[in-house]
Amino acid sequence: MSSATPIAPTPVAAVVRQGPSARRRLGLLGWNAAGIAVFVVMVFPVYWMVSTAFKTGPNIFSYSPKWLPVPATLANFGDAIHRQYFWQNVRNSLIVVGVVVVLSLTLAFLAALALAKFKFYGRRAFIVLIIAVQMVPLNALIIPLYITLSRAHQVNKLSGVIITYMTFVLPFTIWTLRGFILGVPRELEEAAMVDGTTRFGAFVRVLLPLVAPGLVATSIFAFIQAWNEYIMAYVLLSSPEKQTLTVWLASFTTNRGTAWGPLMAGATLTALPVVGFFLLVQRRIAFGLTAGAVRG
Amino acid sequence: MAEIQFVHVSKVYGGDVTAVRDLNLQIAEGEFVVLVGPSGCGKTTALRMLAGLEEITAGEIRIADRVVNDLPPRERDIAMVFQNYALYPHKSVYENLAFGLRMRKVPRDEQRRRVEEIARVLGLGDMLNRRPAQLSGGQRQRVAMGRAIVREPKAFLMDEPLSNLDAKLRVQMRAEIARIQQALKVTTVYVTHDQVEAMTMGDRVAVMRDGELQQVDTPQRLYDAPANLFVASFVGSPPMNLFEASVRRDNGRLLCKVGDSEFELPADLEAGRPALGAYVGRSLAIGIRPEDVREASGWDGARLRGRILLVESLGSEQLVHIEFAAAPLERSDLVDTAAQPPGPSLGVGELEQAVTLLGRFDRHLLLTPGEAVEVAIDPRLLHFFDLETGLAIPSAVDTPVPAGVAG
Repeated sequence: MSSATPIAPTPVAAVVRQGPSARRRLGLLGWNAAGIAVFVVMVFPVYWMVSTAFKTGPNIFSYSPKWLPVPATLANFGDAIHRQYFWQNVRNSLIVVGVVVVLSLTLAFLAALALAKFKFYGRRAFIVLIIAVQMVPLNALIIPLYITLSRAHQVNKLSGVIITYMTFVLPFTIWTLRGFILGVPRELEEAAMVDGTTRFGAFVRVLLPLVAPGLVATSIFAFIQAWNEYIMAYVLLSSPEKQTLTVWLASFTTNRGTAWGPLMAGATLTALPVVGFFLLVQRRIAFGLTAGAVRG
Repeated sequence: MAEIQFVHVSKVYGGDVTAVRDLNLQIAEGEFVVLVGPSGCGKTTALRMLAGLEEITAGEIRIADRVVNDLPPRERDIAMVFQNYALYPHKSVYENLAFGLRMRKVPRDEQRRRVEEIARVLGLGDMLNRRPAQLSGGQRQRVAMGRAIVREPKAFLMDEPLSNLDAKLRVQMRAEIARIQQALKVTTVYVTHDQVEAMTMGDRVAVMRDGELQQVDTPQRLYDAPANLFVASFVGSPPMNLFEASVRRDNGRLLCKVGDSEFELPADLEAGRPALGAYVGRSLAIGIRPEDVREASGWDGARLRGRILLVESLGSEQLVHIEFAAAPLERSDLVDTAAQPPGPSLGVGELEQAVTLLGRFDRHLLLTPGEAVEVAIDPRLLHFFDLETGLAIPSAVDTPVPAGVAG
């Protein structure tokens, strides 16, 4: 995806590089230190989770913190995997996430298309509504949602969870995709239509490939939201075989205490798909794919 | 190849904004017609209606005698070149060129043959695998042209295709497009706001203003016999000099007064322009092309006296701004460039109003700003316009063709 533009290279300044001044260097140092601090704060919990997952029992509870999991053990992972309902809950999580990602992207692409390309009565109100809906805190919706879903016999069913997730994933994905679609010049579709496609054909053949980075970005969002969600799943799914992974993780905390080793191992395993998915698609977030379409 | 007809075509946006008003225009098979006018005159809207990208509010558009009002763009068999080229950025040059053929289910071998031929003709042979982002502006322009040509459509529609190129490339591509069009003999509708492009490229030029067609004619006739003040001020660079004048009769002679100078309009001029007699005792607008304004020495004709404001040397000639006393023409239908700037007054300040007369003089004349100068004008080269309607006062020999032609 490296597109070297064959325009004249920027002339290299003929000035002798003197290096940054002392003052600038100090400022740079400050920024770097701040950057590292942020990095440490963000990474440490993840590190602690992973390292705990590999620690043996005594090391987990040791008063002097053990930074490295020596001796390392895989026993915690074994415990986690062999715990009841693990594979079943993995399957549930995958179903929920898969359906939410595919459904939300399809619906959001079509909705964003309508919002970006067509004029219709109430469009502005609809756009405002999409933003307004996102302002409502999810926790305030738990009880009303539960009652509504229970009347529709959707409690303790994956479909109910999927519908619930769609309510907060869709507004965001529609909003984001609309922005991406607006970024594609109208003339591209018009050119395609003059070239012989139908209106919908122009969307699929020209617009869709060009908003691919947007689809990837929003799919990451939808994936993370659906995979990591806990509260709604916990409230809606009561029977253990119907639960998702995040709810399953909570089962490590019991009245008699928390099984930290297996919990951390389970959490590490739960985090893996998200990281994997991101690594898989992040290469495709190639922004500026529309370069060269129009004058430049 | 096909004939194109606009029949009483109008476009109204949102019920109250009229973009195109009752457009009647007939474009013959293989003809190159340029729609020209200032921005917002409706020329692009007219083109987009023809392409099927804009709905037609009223009237009919026909391509090859088929009413296309309700046909989607893909069924009109036209090709369009967009102002910003609109190349598909995710496709290579080859795919860009072949896209239209693929959509029309042209066999693969045929696609390849045609794309490669066009690429060769346009000098894009080495670039078929590149993406548009890797091309220069001129090359992109060529790909956009190629994408239109390769389809062998009934008509080319071009929406300011050269406006994003630098001046030198524009002149080059201008000639290239005209050459291609002549070679292919495909009916072409070309939209531009640049009257030089319009004049140099079109078989006929249609001048539009505020959604209304002003005049359609060959470039030369547009220049020689503009139908109204707007066309007179729009066509030609530098623009025509326009002043308010009055006509009176004295002993059977017709006299024209501009500011404080008065000159005779010869009898043959009046004979050729019988309507002029009706303006005796009234005001009218007169116009003279800059190249018809001459430094007085050695020339006959009406004399105007003024002072040189500015001399612009163009190498081959010089453009001389001469200030003289006369009433400037203040009308909304004049193009900005023709409007008289108030300018600093040099010498004629005691007079109430001064206008600038633009003359195209021989480069060997020695002229300095501030100098008094006398210019000669051949009254037979003057253009006369009605002040109220803005319409040209027609001459008996070459009556300007009225705008509408189609039924």
